Amino acid sequence: MKRPLLAALLVLLTTLSAWAQSTPMQDILQEHSDLIVQSSRKTIEPAIRGVAASGLPQAQEVMRAWQTKKMWIRTSDGLFFRADKLDAKTYRLFDFDTGAVVGDSPKSDLKQIKPNSGIRAMIATALVQFQLMDPDPVLRTEALLAIERAPDGKLLEPLRASIDRERDMVLQARKIRIERLLTIAYDQDEPTRIAAINEVSGDLGLDVRATLNPLVTTKLTAFAGDIPDTVNVARVLEPGQDTLSSEAAYGVLVAQGMAPAQVTRDDMRLALLEHSDGTSVAGVPVAQLDADAARSRAYAALVDAGLAQPLVSDADVATSLAAHRFAEIYNEPSAAITTAAQDALDRITTRVAAGQTIDLTLDALSLASIYFLAAIGLAITFGVMGVINMAHGEFIMMGAYTGYVVQQMVPNHTVSILLAVPLAFAVTFVAGVAMERLVIRWLYNRPLETLLATFGISIALQQLAKNIFGTQARPLTAPGWLDGAWVLNDVVSISYIRIAIFVLALIFLGVFLFIMRRTRLGLETRAVTQNRSMAASMGINPERVNMLTFGLGSGIAGIAGVAIGLFAKVTSELGSDYIVQSFMTVVVGGVGNIWGTLAGATMIGFFQKGVEWLNPSNTLAAQTYMIVFIIIFIQFRPRGIIALKGRAAGD
Amino acid sequence: MTILKTTLTTTAAVAAMTVAAQAADCPVKVGVLHSLSGTMAISETTLKDTMLMLIEQQNAKGGVLGCEIEPVVVDPASDWPLFAEKARELLTVHDVDVIFGNWTSVSRKSVLPVIEELNGLLFYPVQYEGEESSKNVFYTGAAPNQQAIPATDYFLEELGVEKFALLGTDYVYPRTTNNILESYLQDKGIAADDIFVNYTPFGHSDWSKIVADVVALGADGKKVGVISTINGDANIGFYKELAAAGISADDIPVVAFSVGEEELSGLDTSNLIGHLAAWNYFQSAESDANTEWVAAWKARMGEERVTNDPMEAHYIGFNMWVNAAEAAGSTDVDAVRTAMYGQEFPNLTGGTAVMLPNHHLAKPVLIGEILEDGQFDIISQTEEVPGDAWTDFLPESAVLKSDWKDLGCGMYNTETASCVQMNSNY
Repeated sequence: MKRPLLAALLVLLTTLSAWAQSTPMQDILQEHSDLIVQSSRKTIEPAIRGVAASGLPQAQEVMRAWQTKKMWIRTSDGLFFRADKLDAKTYRLFDFDTGAVVGDSPKSDLKQIKPNSGIRAMIATALVQFQLMDPDPVLRTEALLAIERAPDGKLLEPLRASIDRERDMVLQARKIRIERLLTIAYDQDEPTRIAAINEVSGDLGLDVRATLNPLVTTKLTAFAGDIPDTVNVARVLEPGQDTLSSEAAYGVLVAQGMAPAQVTRDDMRLALLEHSDGTSVAGVPVAQLDADAARSRAYAALVDAGLAQPLVSDADVATSLAAHRFAEIYNEPSAAITTAAQDALDRITTRVAAGQTIDLTLDALSLASIYFLAAIGLAITFGVMGVINMAHGEFIMMGAYTGYVVQQMVPNHTVSILLAVPLAFAVTFVAGVAMERLVIRWLYNRPLETLLATFGISIALQQLAKNIFGTQARPLTAPGWLDGAWVLNDVVSISYIRIAIFVLALIFLGVFLFIMRRTRLGLETRAVTQNRSMAASMGINPERVNMLTFGLGSGIAGIAGVAIGLFAKVTSELGSDYIVQSFMTVVVGGVGNIWGTLAGATMIGFFQKGVEWLNPSNTLAAQTYMIVFIIIFIQFRPRGIIALKGRAAGD
Repeated sequence: MTILKTTLTTTAAVAAMTVAAQAADCPVKVGVLHSLSGTMAISETTLKDTMLMLIEQQNAKGGVLGCEIEPVVVDPASDWPLFAEKARELLTVHDVDVIFGNWTSVSRKSVLPVIEELNGLLFYPVQYEGEESSKNVFYTGAAPNQQAIPATDYFLEELGVEKFALLGTDYVYPRTTNNILESYLQDKGIAADDIFVNYTPFGHSDWSKIVADVVALGADGKKVGVISTINGDANIGFYKELAAAGISADDIPVVAFSVGEEELSGLDTSNLIGHLAAWNYFQSAESDANTEWVAAWKARMGEERVTNDPMEAHYIGFNMWVNAAEAAGSTDVDAVRTAMYGQEFPNLTGGTAVMLPNHHLAKPVLIGEILEDGQFDIISQTEEVPGDAWTDFLPESAVLKSDWKDLGCGMYNTETASCVQMNSNY
């Protein structure tokens, strides 16, 4: 009777152990199954450690599958697999231990394990030990990125060991830099840390500051009697002085449990309420409790009865404060290190401030170039010809949409942008000429009517754009070589697209000057603007000149549209966003002078960035201040920064 | 006998008149108050199309109360005061039975006095800042505790963010939401210095300085996260600048409350992968009802069109309204309102939405990571969270409660046990 049972048990055990031996990774995953499925950063740690520390050759593979969301659980038996998609409904499963195909499974039986980016970062950190020496430089880069994102003292030794054997010069430099930063934060040896701190001092990198700043964080601490020598004091504070009010100091004492909390009026009220029996509180009738004196008496009675906290008088506070010393204490115990770190940070701070100034200047220049580009067409139509064209913004929009359409037809982004620029010019040139012929030429010298007519056209064009392209913003994607930013250091950087716009603005300044000063059209335009009838009697056809000049101004607006669409968005409202700024630029700069427009754009750009710097929390306010400033400015210089003088000023 | 005859005739006549009166109510009119032009058109036009599709589907099923439903579409043109005028027009000129509309909170605030004066009924489909409860509005979008608070918790707990940048467009929703979040974060032990707030105008496009400011927050070694209440097309410039600065979601994650599938369709998403959004619905939600809904939308609007959260809100809101009207046997505003409480309707993400007495829904909160194709990978989904009109995280509104069913009050002070006021003109 017993024997068959034993035999059966033996068989079962062998099977079990054989099964266990063949699937060690699956066992580890099963052990942490709940945590893995729950997938929360707070609880996942044992699971990651279990896999990483298993010592199994497949651990790295498993973690990479997990990190890239390729790990699935089969709901029917709770086993984990790597799964590849075959089609929408079927997935092919691979065993984690053998790497062999297990079979195909319908999606309904599978559940994807989706680690969030917090967990993915933890897996990445756990993977570092495998990847630091991986032959694939991509994986080594990933490992370094993981350390940079989540610096950890445990990684210092493996990192140091890997530096000498690194063959890739770029990666080696990066490893050395990370090693320096980890040394500062985690090394045990003080002189080594100080040497590392001195090495990075003056480095503007964000990572350097992120490493040094935690070293010099302080905590306001109170000490009964004198401050012991064992702590690293940043500075001693005197309660009641500017930097530390008496209330704040007493608050520290209360928080450290060195003094009783002060009883507030609210606490008093609640205590009285709590101990009220309906008619009286501690012998004082409720009816009398409408006066402070009675309330204090009742509370004092409660205190005597041991039912409430005793009051802390101002004298008590003063005594407590006098009995204690207050100081800001560094969290880092070593004074030598905090001094070194503070010195390094001081040097960095000066350079960061300089860098930020340069960065702000670059931003302001970029904004100025955008405003200039948007306004340069207007400088021609409004500045030179005196036509108030409210539809100018819509020409910008048309240019942007032309860029979008070209990009739909020509998939290569570089080619499409190169094509879009002349096409946008052509489209808006034609539109401008058409508008001049059909509307504006009938309204010369009637500015009010021009304003209303062009405003109407602007609304009509916007609606037309909505009907054709819909209300969704359309993507106008910059070519790959304009992606990213020109990074001087972690403080000073500017995106390539903005540099491109800046260059474009310069080119247009040149083109404008060339046309106005060196071509027949420019000469004729200037002649017609100064004296139309005299120019006509000299054999110039003013109608033709006006038409071409207006077309030119509109065409340039179209090209500006391509540029603006690249860095912002293409919507039917694109133009109306810029029309106000464009008019402001031209008016502030001085009507009729391209240098004025340039000066106006620069001034507005710098002023706006200046206000944004003073008030970083509200960009809208910056724009409001700017308009106020411009109104005041116009009071003093009604003709703008560069006013035309003499006969050219016309009226 | 004659008396009996007269009575019978009268009864018949009265009955005939009642039937005639009911027939005269046909068709049932549904007002659609969404901007079809102006800066919010980017988001709101879709909701107009959603309403037209829902109404069409319902008409195919036989309409409501045996009547054909007729949509009345008006365009308030992203002009906030015009919303009030158009709402008045819908209620007095077109005599609509219910209005579905609005996106921005400022437009809703402008409609409120009109709708309360004329006792209209508005279904508001967008996530909003709370701190409001009108007798005449059903809020089918998320209150802060159904979107902002869970997303902030996710940042704190799952991503370990220690420093917050709250970026928003300058109007009532971002300002109130950020106030709530600031107070909430400080409760959670985040120092006031570690919270950076910035407001930008609608349609803002010059983001380089703000992005640089956010990056600079990381200088003290703390993990930085961005909570974005940026609305409308300003998002495009913001994400483009983030990408240009080379900031990946693993360095500085951004969670957005106003960016959904629709907004992403105007963007090159390759640089946004991994950034987050918090909603009560994503197109990628796996359920049969959702598959059917997405297919119907694509069949009607085109293969490249996407569905989003406010659309689901209209889907739930409209169907609840139809069911409530059927239950009440009338489209009368007060009758429908009473029938609305406790209405249940399956939401598209798999659970069931319930209409609470505070005019909010109980809905699950989803957090999704942006994928390459502009869709979201849902990485976190909660149980149904009941919407809370008055947030618990601002001391002055923690004591307030909204209950239109039993207390008959939207602003009830639980400390003094009294109704503060009935109208929502605060």
